[in-house]
Amino acid sequence: MASISGMLRNLLDRPGGVPLAPYQKIVKAAGALAAKIGELDELPAPEMDDLAGFCAIAREAADRELGLRPYDVQLLGTLALLDGKVAEMATGEGKTLSGAMAAAGYALQGKRVHVISVNDYLARRDAEWMGPFYASLGVSVGWIGQNSTPEERREAYAKDVTYGPVSEIGFDVLRDRLRTDAAELIVPAPEVALVDEADSVLVDEARVPLVMAGAADPGNAVPEMAALVRQLVRGYHYEIDEQARNVYLTPKGADSVENLLGVELYDEHEPGTLIELNLALHAHALLARDVDYIVRDGKVQLINPSRGRVALLQRWPDGLQAAVEAKEALPPSEKGEILDSITVQGLIRRYPQICGMTGTAVAVSEQLGEFYGLKVAVIPPNRPCVRTDELDRIYPTVPDKDAALVEEIQEVHATGRPILIGTLDVAESENLAKLLQRRGLEPVVLNAKNDAEEAAIIAKAGERDAITVSTQMAGRGTDIRLGGGVAELGGLYVIGSGRHASSRLDDQLRGRAGRQGDPGGSVFFVSMQDDLITQFIPDERPPAADPDGVVRHRRGAYLVGHAQRVAEGVNLEIHRNTWRYTRLLEHQRELILEWRDKVLHGDAASKALAKADSERWESLPEDTRDETARQIVLHALDRCWTEHLAFLTDLREGIHLRALGRMSPVDEFQREAVAEYKSLLAEVERRSLESFEAPEPDLRRPAATWTYLVQDNPFGTEWDRILKRVTAATRRG
Amino acid sequence: MLTAFTRAFRTPDLRKKLLFTLGIIALFRLGSVLPTPGVHVENLAACFDQARSGETGNIYGMVQLFSGGALLKLSVFALGIMPYITASIILQLLVVVIPRLEALKKEGQAGQTKITQYTRYLTIGLAVLQSTAFIALARTGQLFPNCQQDVLLDPDNIFGIVTMVVIMTAGTSVIMWLGELITDRGVGNGMSILIFTQIVAVFPSELANIFQANKFTFAIVMVVGVFMIAAVVFVEQGQRRIPVQYAKRMVGRRMYGGTSTYIPLKVNQAGIIPVIFASSLLYLPQLITSLFSTSDNMVIQWISQNLATGDTPIYMATFFLLIVFFTYFYVSITFNPAEVADNMKKYGGFIPGIRPGRPTAEYLNFVLTRLTAPGALYLGLISMVPIVALAVAGASQNFPFGGTSILIMVGVGLDTVKQIESQLQQRNYEGFLR
Repeated sequence: MASISGMLRNLLDRPGGVPLAPYQKIVKAAGALAAKIGELDELPAPEMDDLAGFCAIAREAADRELGLRPYDVQLLGTLALLDGKVAEMATGEGKTLSGAMAAAGYALQGKRVHVISVNDYLARRDAEWMGPFYASLGVSVGWIGQNSTPEERREAYAKDVTYGPVSEIGFDVLRDRLRTDAAELIVPAPEVALVDEADSVLVDEARVPLVMAGAADPGNAVPEMAALVRQLVRGYHYEIDEQARNVYLTPKGADSVENLLGVELYDEHEPGTLIELNLALHAHALLARDVDYIVRDGKVQLINPSRGRVALLQRWPDGLQAAVEAKEALPPSEKGEILDSITVQGLIRRYPQICGMTGTAVAVSEQLGEFYGLKVAVIPPNRPCVRTDELDRIYPTVPDKDAALVEEIQEVHATGRPILIGTLDVAESENLAKLLQRRGLEPVVLNAKNDAEEAAIIAKAGERDAITVSTQMAGRGTDIRLGGGVAELGGLYVIGSGRHASSRLDDQLRGRAGRQGDPGGSVFFVSMQDDLITQFIPDERPPAADPDGVVRHRRGAYLVGHAQRVAEGVNLEIHRNTWRYTRLLEHQRELILEWRDKVLHGDAASKALAKADSERWESLPEDTRDETARQIVLHALDRCWTEHLAFLTDLREGIHLRALGRMSPVDEFQREAVAEYKSLLAEVERRSLESFEAPEPDLRRPAATWTYLVQDNPFGTEWDRILKRVTAATRRG
Repeated sequence: MLTAFTRAFRTPDLRKKLLFTLGIIALFRLGSVLPTPGVHVENLAACFDQARSGETGNIYGMVQLFSGGALLKLSVFALGIMPYITASIILQLLVVVIPRLEALKKEGQAGQTKITQYTRYLTIGLAVLQSTAFIALARTGQLFPNCQQDVLLDPDNIFGIVTMVVIMTAGTSVIMWLGELITDRGVGNGMSILIFTQIVAVFPSELANIFQANKFTFAIVMVVGVFMIAAVVFVEQGQRRIPVQYAKRMVGRRMYGGTSTYIPLKVNQAGIIPVIFASSLLYLPQLITSLFSTSDNMVIQWISQNLATGDTPIYMATFFLLIVFFTYFYVSITFNPAEVADNMKKYGGFIPGIRPGRPTAEYLNFVLTRLTAPGALYLGLISMVPIVALAVAGASQNFPFGGTSILIMVGVGLDTVKQIESQLQQRNYEGFLR
């Protein structure tokens, strides 16, 4: 029966459509070889033409070196990865080992493998943990992290298999693009990308382009502006839009500010004050300490919203960072301009071979197909999951929800069952911990502020009597083992203090319980005032609660699901837009890089400059003039690219207005960007020649890194607009 | 434009897309002339010719226009794209009425996919209805009231009739699919391209007819046609650019503001919708007179004298006024200055020298109102020219360069060429990489 529905799904190319039968055959063959290989003292070097043999040898190697004997389903995962698919494997099924076997397989095929993970911790843990396994197969392994030095990085990239977080690999690629000495290049040509937590990396992270910025001037935060906006009142002086993404002055606010500062805010020739004001207001009204950032060591550190971790290398763009620093009365850090950028999508698509694994792939299988041409293979669990997922408990207000949440924790804790509470942000985790402490409970808090103790906290989270309050940090890659006697109590109990903006994140949190057939339970506490509801479906009227304070009306559960689907839709649109606009940019970048490579590795610069001004060329010392020419052209090239990027960012910001004239914003963007690009080429030549003829050319360069988000098109199609008007009119009438 | 095409043909993957599109168009035309099984081809052709020379063809005017003449030929693709267009419009309207659909729409692409799926189901439903209706008309001879011959081979064979309904419905689904294929893998918007094809498809035979009838009229038609196309292309490109600045970022040394960020307000901000609305509305009198042709009621008499045909001054004036009215109406619902101003305010944008919010909305409204006046006049005139010209020249109603046809043709043509050009630019960085 299952196979018939499987065939049908395959026919319709629905999620999970990759048939497992061919893999199962190989796994069976590998099983038959197990006894023979198990007797050998020394394992033979696997032949990659014989996948069954490879599986058998790899299984034996993992058993001997790591004490882990891969289950058949793990081998299925490995084979799906070797076949270039995204393998969906439930939590606790041993993705790490499946991935390592696949990476070793690719390496034995003579390909260089980058195992791309979401953070430093996982990259390092997996590389070190799997090290002996790789060694036994004769495959070398290395890892990189945020704090790796250039030498360490080069060494790690030289290995057969390199583990690294996606942002670090991206930053290395970006930095390489601006090298002026061919010997300093770090990242080798891309061959195989094996993406861990594929949905997170390929979908969630793909919305944010990685940006490399260079310090241009010292920061110019304006403390006076921060002080001024602190006096403004929300609702009177300024307003915040529903999705809490934008803040703007009201006419009264503009009057007050103009009076206080004695300037014309909207004067064409003086945009500076308005920009400073907008930035200060944004920092003041939209960015909250302990939600969007924390202050540590006298520095503002951003929190990555989809992971709940501190993003050391991230900064806000274009003066916003300085505005936040001014708000927190910290010394301004360096201000910079964007030198280059790459999206995760552009980064991953450089690899000719891509594969990935995650616990939640089916939900995004369409996007994986659309953006990366990847298909999903659903690997069955080794033992069926027996976790009980309860229905959401819905309350009318946040205080109601919190009270019920604390009550529930206290009740369950009395039985000794370990509890993991997943919160949405740092501030919430701390509030909840305080509430629990007031009841005499002793919760352990895991959030972006103490991520160093992560491993130790997680190790204890499955023990009797444990109460762990965590942000989304505990959502991925962390394996919570049950302590003694806990299974009898019902296993780990996972409570979500609110639904996430995507059902995948919910599932990841639930997945912390019930690993490898363990017992476990999960439930989400939701209120009709949660950000998810108020931000994404502000117009809907929530149903009334029953007399005991719980919302049981069918509509309550529907609204929660609806809000989440709206959020997912919005995020997908952002992703798609980011990609639409960056595709062109990355194409232009490729062309520039091709040129740049010719200059960097060859004598293209010398030839061109010698031809343009032979007199000057002859007058230069023969031993250094090639290098001089190269540096001059590289500098002009990088400078012009930086300016081109600034132009594109500027163009991008207002391009949606073209839709009002029934033009396609993407096409318009295309048209203007291409025209500008053509003038860029001439400009590079002009500047190179100018520097070449100058006695002391100015070839200074900067460096530093951070990332930012792009704005989406808010108007909708013409039809959307008509309907909006008609709807508004009928509702009014 | 021609250079764009020749360059496009030199770019391999664009050539593939263009050939793909042309292939689909060829297939589409083939289906439009392929008779449905069970049609008496010779009788039908005779009736068709007879109908064309008479006045009765007009009842199906708009449908006939969009079906490229396939409708009265009872071909496999007889229903053309109309069912799909109608279904889309109905669903768009239902989204407003049914909260469940509205909620789906808000859920972004996943919801939109479901709505598209519903649109397809509705298209099939409409296709079944329409094909049944047309075949019923054909069976009883009402399709060509003045023609005495049977257009079906065996009008009493129920099985044969059902087969025809099934085939026409299937044809409509195929058209839907072809349109989506063009959008996905070809150039331009599939539906627009197919409409364009059907409008242009009737030109050769219509022109040939005119040519045979009167060489002088033919010359006038050609001159007027070419002149009108040129005029439409010219005005369609016209726009007023209102500069906008965004004050949210601190950018480096170079200032770009104002040069590339602007609101383009088109002279013809409304597009062709007002013309379609106006002509649809003016089909009503024709329909009424054809339904009550025997009545001697005063009102109906008056209508049939003044509004049923295009050569009376009252018809022309009404048509013109309706277009002007719909232009203002349509612009006012598609471009809401208050909403645009609000959006700009949210994202930190402003028109230099003008405060965000109300003052900006008022300014936009002022400019828009002044711009719509020539826009409305232009649409009205373009739509009137053929009617007036024909009234003067005394030719038949079958003038191929109707205002609607030309506006649609030029609109789709310009969009498609623009899209090809932008795809070209993406790939073709000539002069570079020396």
